[in-house]
Amino acid sequence: MKTRPTGWPFLVAVFAHLAVLPPLLFSQSDFYQGKTITIIQGREPGALGDMRVRAVIPYLQKYIPGNPTIVTEFMPGGGGRKATNHIYRSVRPDGLTLGNVGAGLIANAVLGEPGVQYDIDKLIYLGSPNSATHYIYLSRADMGWDSLEKLRAASGIRIGAQTVGHDIYINGRLFAWLVGLKDPKFVTGYSGTEVDLALMRGEVDARAQTAAWLLHRNRDWLDKRLINTHAILDIPKGDKHPHFGLLPELESFARSEKERKIVQMFRAFRLAGSPYVLPPGTPKERVEILQQAMRKTFKDPQFEKEFEKLTGDRPTPLMPEAHQRMVKEAPRDPEVIGTFKVVAGAKTLPAR
Amino acid sequence: MEISLFQAAFQGLLNLMQLKVFLALLVGVGIGTFTAVAPQGLGMPLVYAMLLPVVIKWEPLTGIALLIGASSVSAICAAYLPILFGIPGGAGSQATVLDGYPMGKRGEARRALGASFMAGGMGCVIGTLTLLVAIPAARPLIYLMGSPELFVVMLWGLSMVAVLAGRRPIKGLIATAFGLLLATVGQQAQSGIMRFVFDQPYLLDGFAISIIALALFGIPSALDLALTKLGVEQQPAPLKGSLLDGAKDTLREWWLVVRCSFVGVWVGIVPGLGSQVVDWLAYGHAAQSCKGAKESFGKGDVRGVIAPESANDAKDGGDLITTLLLGFPQGVVTALFIVALLAWGFLPGPEMVKKNADLIYSIVWIQGIAGITGTLVGFVLSKELARLAQVRYSFMVPVLFIFILMGAFSVNRDPVDLLVVVTFGILGYFMKRGGYPRPAMILGLVLGDLMEKYLYRSMASYGFSWLTRPGVVVLLVLTAVSFVLTLRGRLERKTEAESLSGGAMARAADDS
Repeated sequence: MKTRPTGWPFLVAVFAHLAVLPPLLFSQSDFYQGKTITIIQGREPGALGDMRVRAVIPYLQKYIPGNPTIVTEFMPGGGGRKATNHIYRSVRPDGLTLGNVGAGLIANAVLGEPGVQYDIDKLIYLGSPNSATHYIYLSRADMGWDSLEKLRAASGIRIGAQTVGHDIYINGRLFAWLVGLKDPKFVTGYSGTEVDLALMRGEVDARAQTAAWLLHRNRDWLDKRLINTHAILDIPKGDKHPHFGLLPELESFARSEKERKIVQMFRAFRLAGSPYVLPPGTPKERVEILQQAMRKTFKDPQFEKEFEKLTGDRPTPLMPEAHQRMVKEAPRDPEVIGTFKVVAGAKTLPAR
Repeated sequence: MEISLFQAAFQGLLNLMQLKVFLALLVGVGIGTFTAVAPQGLGMPLVYAMLLPVVIKWEPLTGIALLIGASSVSAICAAYLPILFGIPGGAGSQATVLDGYPMGKRGEARRALGASFMAGGMGCVIGTLTLLVAIPAARPLIYLMGSPELFVVMLWGLSMVAVLAGRRPIKGLIATAFGLLLATVGQQAQSGIMRFVFDQPYLLDGFAISIIALALFGIPSALDLALTKLGVEQQPAPLKGSLLDGAKDTLREWWLVVRCSFVGVWVGIVPGLGSQVVDWLAYGHAAQSCKGAKESFGKGDVRGVIAPESANDAKDGGDLITTLLLGFPQGVVTALFIVALLAWGFLPGPEMVKKNADLIYSIVWIQGIAGITGTLVGFVLSKELARLAQVRYSFMVPVLFIFILMGAFSVNRDPVDLLVVVTFGILGYFMKRGGYPRPAMILGLVLGDLMEKYLYRSMASYGFSWLTRPGVVVLLVLTAVSFVLTLRGRLERKTEAESLSGGAMARAADDS
């Protein structure tokens, strides 16, 4: 039997489509008007990362067309893994829920840490207000290690840090490994300020510390010559620190390409800063609106002042496209990952 | 030196003579009171984080008055939950449940609240006075307490549980061991090893103490109400006792307040101890040292309320000592306070003592005034709050369950927390019925993590030689003497009246 072609189903489909489409086609620019954006933070309230988010919120609100209300929620746990899993798996990708977690988001996934249930290549990145960091390696002055030679000659130096896997811990391990310390001991289980106390009362001999913290909070250590500084790690590479620019850079101690890659891998992880992310499947137009708002925020001179007031550090933004690129180019070489995990872990440092 | 410090103290007080500073203080007190009365999740860290971007644009003293006003009052007003409903308050007010709730059930809610506010206010004033005189002496004290010394202090805390387990020492030890075991769940900070995680992200950081305490005490209390079909007060008769009675009790026990306040100040000064242990250490000290405590603690002894509340509020003074004089934050709230000070251009630490002594004294004055204001607010509020104890069970039970579940969910906003709170709530109910002391389990959970941390650090830094450090030897001797004396007292009492003897925690398990 010959069936007569009919246009009804097609017309119905077209009208139905048009009924749904207009909001998507014509109102993306004012989509956020009267809406509420929720930023889920993978940390406790009041942490430094929370302060960074609070510095961003008023400007983000200002630069998103429609000036939506922005609220923040907290989902601490697993060094950001819990929050990222939630954003990746459970959040509706409508552009109304953003995530903000620490740099561990990238590192945990690349290193295959337990509890990671997200794919960093599928998340959408909106940038980070902070990315550059400088780590200083220092020892107590009364130990008398005022040169690298003396440091190398000493045995069993006790290096204090927070926990295994913490960036300060990994830094201490990287330094001990690349400089070639003899039988170093790693003493962990402190909070950041407890390590300072432990250093000053002689419970540990050395530690890694960010340059900003050292200058801002422990300036008297330098003024009173209570410590000796030994080396620096510049992130990003080549970004010389105005105060510690003369210290040898950690990568200069690397003896092989593999060792250089280990340092580069750590740099890449830290450069991620505190990423703002969206779940996969978020409409492209809304992603663009949020990315544009983030770019404008980071370029606003007033934001810079506000950020510095709230965090004690100047912002070093990573723009959305640079962030996306950085994740794409993050080192994934299994051999390097394997060695990095040993360096960052609790077992004996690998042979060189 | 002394004259200049006196001048600074006077100047610090003069600085406060501005209407806007007092208004900010009152607003802070209001915020703090609301935070204390609201469910657990709205803690002071969140309040500080929300206020900070606003107050750093103000003049420093006005902002400081708001922040300090809020934080000191929230501790003073935290006792109403444990007293009226048997639900542990925030960290620092958990041990109050042991005697506060039995008092509430006996019709003495007002008396317990009065004692708690008075003890809190006195603790706050003692903490502030200590802060006032601590300026030259704080630094050596902090450097004296290394990881080995702190480990022995934790050991003393743990020995206290075995003693307080009273007539059921074996059950007490089992509960403590279970708490210690629970403390091992999660990623071990020192080695990175995952323990009992089973690849579940929820377990990576272990169990939140606040959620476990809420479950172990809150759910059995609510179930009790539902099963006995009575209000919190066993008899719906008029409330017995008054706020004034509680205040008088506290004044009569002034020496206990002073001792426990110093426990609080000390916990505040020593980095890493935190508010989770302060109330338990003070309660344990009171149970060991107060006359007749073995018979009355856990049954609704007002001294069991006075001890933890005075210590908890005095701790704020200790916190400020390290924060202002050394620049070391003791927790999230003081870390945020430092952020605010830095934003205003002050660098907390020895430099601030030299350059801005008057500001430090202004902060001391604000802390003291806020403490007194908070106590007065507490007295005013408690009159109305105490009436809640008489509300019908059919209304109160669902409200309590909602409160408990909301409190648990708002800690991490994780639905799994609801499952955990219900599971541990059921466990708490059966522990209570079986006579296993729940406080012993909580203390095992609280101290387990700290003990492991300090022991690991001691061994990693000193090997076994830490055992020969003078401070460690002195503290070990004190711990042993205290343990033996209390144990001997208990045994003597047992022979005198075997059937009547019993420990506070065991009774708390029966009664709360």
